[in-house]
Amino acid sequence: MIMSSESLEGDITRVLLDGRLDIEGAAEIDLRMNVLAGSAKFLLVDLRNVSFLGSMGLRSLMVPAQAVRRRGGKVALFGPVPMVEQVLKASNIDKVIPIFHELDPALAVLR
Amino acid sequence: MPTQDPHDPLLLDSRLSELSRAQQWAEKLADRLGLNQKTRYAIRLCLEEALANIILHGYRSEAGHPIVVRSWLSGQALFLAIDDQAPAFDPAQSPQQADASDPATLESLEPGGYGIRLLRHFAESLAYERLPNGNRITMSFPGRPG
Repeated sequence: MIMSSESLEGDITRVLLDGRLDIEGAAEIDLRMNVLAGSAKFLLVDLRNVSFLGSMGLRSLMVPAQAVRRRGGKVALFGPVPMVEQVLKASNIDKVIPIFHELDPALAVLR
Repeated sequence: MPTQDPHDPLLLDSRLSELSRAQQWAEKLADRLGLNQKTRYAIRLCLEEALANIILHGYRSEAGHPIVVRSWLSGQALFLAIDDQAPAFDPAQSPQQADASDPATLESLEPGGYGIRLLRHFAESLAYERLPNGNRITMSFPGRPG
């Protein structure tokens, strides 16, 4: 699981995930995601290159998102492939973290 | 570790590191049946969630216990059955089902407990049997190419 991040205009942190968010992949990013969530104000999680998402991967997205939200920040998910989006929807995560397939609306909701 | 014929039962030890071997077994099975990407994803997801549940909760992360996965075709469906020797655990009765309502806020969501919900969503059927000294979960998926 590859993870990188970049700062965008408007105090937005974009985290790019690449690989499989299965149990193994989730364990690989948990610590770094939580560190990132400790400082990010507005968090955009780029899922375009995530090919698999399981329940442990969901947890790896939710825990940091909750941390950001508790500090008054905002979180959005960007570009999940159809089956990954189906996992997000089956878990009702989409009801509390918005999912976008275009970048501009995602950035707009965070700003 | 020898490669197993997908028609043979897959014998696993109760360690999370065994999940990758289970996925390889499932991929070969899917290749043999010519299953589409959607079904492959569903099988991979359900296998991971069911096995992780057995290892983490059934066997309480203790290695050295057996798990057996079998597959068969019946009509249009592919069945996977997973047997363990853990204490009784019926996923349908799991308290994890309590999270089935719509969440009010992100903060109100429990970060865990999605495995059983995903199993129920992505498997076409999910059945539980108590065995004389263990449990059996049987899941089905579309078993034909398409």
